[in-house]
Amino acid sequence: MNGFPSGLAAGLRLLALLALSAASRPLAAAPAGFYLCAALNKGYVTGSKITTVSGLFKRDGAGGWQHIGYNDLSITAAAFDPRDHSVIYTAAVNGCWRSLDGGQTWRQTNGWDITEGRDVAVDPRSPDHVYLALPDGVAVSPDRAQTWVRRENGLPDRGKYTQTIKVDRAHAGRVLAGCESGIYLTENGAKSWRRVLPTAATVDDLQQAWNDPRQWAAVTQSDGAWASIDGGVTWRRFPGVPADHALYNITFDPTHPRRLAIASWHYGVFTSEDSGATWTARNAGLPEPHRVARVGVDPDTGRLYASVVNESLYTSDDFGRTWRRGALEGSVVNNFITVPVAVK
Amino acid sequence: MKARLFSALVLAVVATASAVAQPSFAGPMPSAAVEPDANARREAYHQRINEVLRWYSAQAKPGVPYGREVILAKLALREDRAEVSRSVIAYLKDPGTGPFWMFPVVAMSLLGQDQLTPAAQQALRDMWRTTYQVRGDTENHWAMYYISLYLISERYPNEPAETWYTGKSSAENLAEAREYLIHWMDLATTVGQGEFNPTGYIAEYAIPLSYLSTWAKDPAMRLRGRMMLDLLFSELAENSLHGMLRGPNARTDEGSVIERWNAITSYFNWLLFGDTAPPAGYGGFGMFFAIAAKNYDVPEVMYRIAVDRDRDYVARDLKRTRRRWRLSDQLMPPIYKTSYMRRDYAVGSYQGGLADPIQTHVWDVTWAVPDPRGAHNTMFSLHPYSSNDSMQMYFSAYPEPMIPNLAVEGKPSYDTATKVVGSSPYERVFQDRDTVIALYDIPPGTRFPQVNGFFSKDLANLTEDKSGWIFAQGGNAYLAYRPLAAYRWIPYLHRNGGWAKEEKSLGGQLLVSEFLRNGTIVQAASADEFRSFDAFKAAINALPLEFKLEPVPAVKMTTLRGTRVAFAYGQVPLVNGARLDYAKWKLFESPYLNAEKGSRKVTISWGRMHRVLDFNGPSITDSVAP
Repeated sequence: MNGFPSGLAAGLRLLALLALSAASRPLAAAPAGFYLCAALNKGYVTGSKITTVSGLFKRDGAGGWQHIGYNDLSITAAAFDPRDHSVIYTAAVNGCWRSLDGGQTWRQTNGWDITEGRDVAVDPRSPDHVYLALPDGVAVSPDRAQTWVRRENGLPDRGKYTQTIKVDRAHAGRVLAGCESGIYLTENGAKSWRRVLPTAATVDDLQQAWNDPRQWAAVTQSDGAWASIDGGVTWRRFPGVPADHALYNITFDPTHPRRLAIASWHYGVFTSEDSGATWTARNAGLPEPHRVARVGVDPDTGRLYASVVNESLYTSDDFGRTWRRGALEGSVVNNFITVPVAVK
Repeated sequence: MKARLFSALVLAVVATASAVAQPSFAGPMPSAAVEPDANARREAYHQRINEVLRWYSAQAKPGVPYGREVILAKLALREDRAEVSRSVIAYLKDPGTGPFWMFPVVAMSLLGQDQLTPAAQQALRDMWRTTYQVRGDTENHWAMYYISLYLISERYPNEPAETWYTGKSSAENLAEAREYLIHWMDLATTVGQGEFNPTGYIAEYAIPLSYLSTWAKDPAMRLRGRMMLDLLFSELAENSLHGMLRGPNARTDEGSVIERWNAITSYFNWLLFGDTAPPAGYGGFGMFFAIAAKNYDVPEVMYRIAVDRDRDYVARDLKRTRRRWRLSDQLMPPIYKTSYMRRDYAVGSYQGGLADPIQTHVWDVTWAVPDPRGAHNTMFSLHPYSSNDSMQMYFSAYPEPMIPNLAVEGKPSYDTATKVVGSSPYERVFQDRDTVIALYDIPPGTRFPQVNGFFSKDLANLTEDKSGWIFAQGGNAYLAYRPLAAYRWIPYLHRNGGWAKEEKSLGGQLLVSEFLRNGTIVQAASADEFRSFDAFKAAINALPLEFKLEPVPAVKMTTLRGTRVAFAYGQVPLVNGARLDYAKWKLFESPYLNAEKGSRKVTISWGRMHRVLDFNGPSITDSVAP
């Protein structure tokens, strides 16, 4: 499928390549910051008072979470200018917000015709370019979100609900979008897109490996979990990951290149410690039902986090073998964000 | 994060304010007589407004800062200025976010311009800098949000970006809001309103539009607000049976879909036309309209449509579904709505399918009663559809969390087999005047594979005829209900509104038919048309009728009115041998409301009177034909 040789032998070859690649390459850059976007107001509906502080949080030196910026339950993602981490973009129900001063002040960058931002990404090699995933497609800003243009040539008229968007850190203008109808790739700054993986339902997450920019992983609502070793051009299903229910996100461990984790409302947490060759459910110690919205890995310690919906942020220092109830009681984490060191 | 707060807020307001008698709620039903004198009508309208404001003002408790309703009532009545100012400051110490928070605060700012202390005015201004406001994700949210943003940006013009939560200047905020509002008005007057004929959410449109028509400094925007109010209320008048809005409704709730009168639409009918009683607490949100209502003059043409009808009529309207983000080949598929109104009953429907994922009511027959308070005067059937797919179609959400969240956020009945609100992708409906045919083809494996038929406690002479028809009488309407598959009866348990977690046994039954391929035929008639109930039954039994359920449900029949109908699930209905052409559906077509699709121009008519709302201008033109 999608350029891969078919059959078991090919699958094993993919996994061997992934493992070899993971074992042989150092991490690309030392991560500098670990953030999350969380909603803490259980039972909130539009119009009710917000009695808690939600939005963007940064992990502090003591392992706690410090709130940054405005109080908003709807923030689904955040991105940082790689040259200057005080330039922050958030994707939220109002669209895309930007701060130029580390979260002290914010501007809603869009008009009424952009809404319900799902994900936001900055091109590390062309950092004025910002990409926004939207329920009705993709918007691109060439000027740090001062202005937005729709760039959807190659996306279908319908089926372009875009849940996740990620920029290839190795190539300017090379972007992968996870949409309702599959994964789409652009190599020219979204001037044109082509579908590289068709799916029956929404692609929920895309991630680029820390140790090798050619490696990508994706999870879907209907088609399980996928890996690519050629920059997202071709994809192969991760074996052993069920596809009957939605998978919400996947993460590489920045501290250990062969480790990955997956979050799912239905399945809880899956982890792999062999580059995806085998997967193990890691739910012992999580509350029943598991209902995990997001997993993330602390880039400094390798601590695994699991957000159990409306419960708490659980932590594991043995990659899911045991769990401890942690911070952010009653929360749902929408995203974990690891930010490499700023390059001025 | 969805808009389900309305009913909860209403309940809260009503609960806290119920200590003082509400004259019109508790009093007798108003006279049905038409008031021909314009001055008398206007005076009565203003008396009703004052009743609402006085009632809310009287809720003030000594020594306790006023809540927002009391603040606004007192500002509208221009009383207790010092305490109102202190209360505004206290109220703003614990600010909220979003459209429901914004519009009352805007009203405080605008009503209080010449009444509040400088400190209170400053607190109101600062709030727009310090408190982030969420825009929401529904059409009613955006109406409230953008009208609020428009008015408050006009209120504080020429102020820099750093003084606004948006990080945009007054001019930028104003431009964004204006652009959206005109876009929305264009949509509503070219391809139809999305949240059409809502029983509760009408307030979320009427309130901000009344503020726009009252306080907008730009005369064109003020006029647009007025015109949208005229359109909203004309539709309400046309679709109400003696002051009671009936179906179909894009958004409604369990309480008002059964007790048809018990919705804030009855407040608006009472306030504007005086033709029914208002619900408890004036519908809760009703007071937010009352504070600006004196600036709205009810045009006679609209009043007459509401209270002075001399004929039965069919109305066909074009609407659209809520925005579909995914799992659909169209963003906003059209809704083809049909309404048939008679003195004794009304029949309404659209063609079936999902309009809104949770709160749609697709069709019903509703009969008139002398006093609708407490009456369950309606009949309908539905497939109680519940699915993650429909959540994902309309919401930018992951598949699983929404349904369990609905149970705690305000729609506890959504995921229940016995619910009485909701549309289904597996229902197709055809209506010809007072005949409705609803067909169901529910795929195996679908959650809640059954059809629920609602049979009210207020039906008389309920008879299961050996022919297969079920006959009953509601008010002065005779009703014939034909289930197309076997069924059983269960008691109906009533939830008084969308948030109600408790089910009460008030009487009535649900007809439950657990067959995937299924159908319902309902034929209504006025009792005056027959010499007896038995004569009606005989007439129904004599109607030519054939139906089958395989391979898909299909009905061939001649209606009581002599129309030959052939209707099969998934196929275009044949009416007297001709295919029903939905492409010819106009935006509005009835004796009272008319508009071509795409025209931005609606004509409201009664007798020789006409009012033309031309959104191309914009302009309002009144005329009386010779």
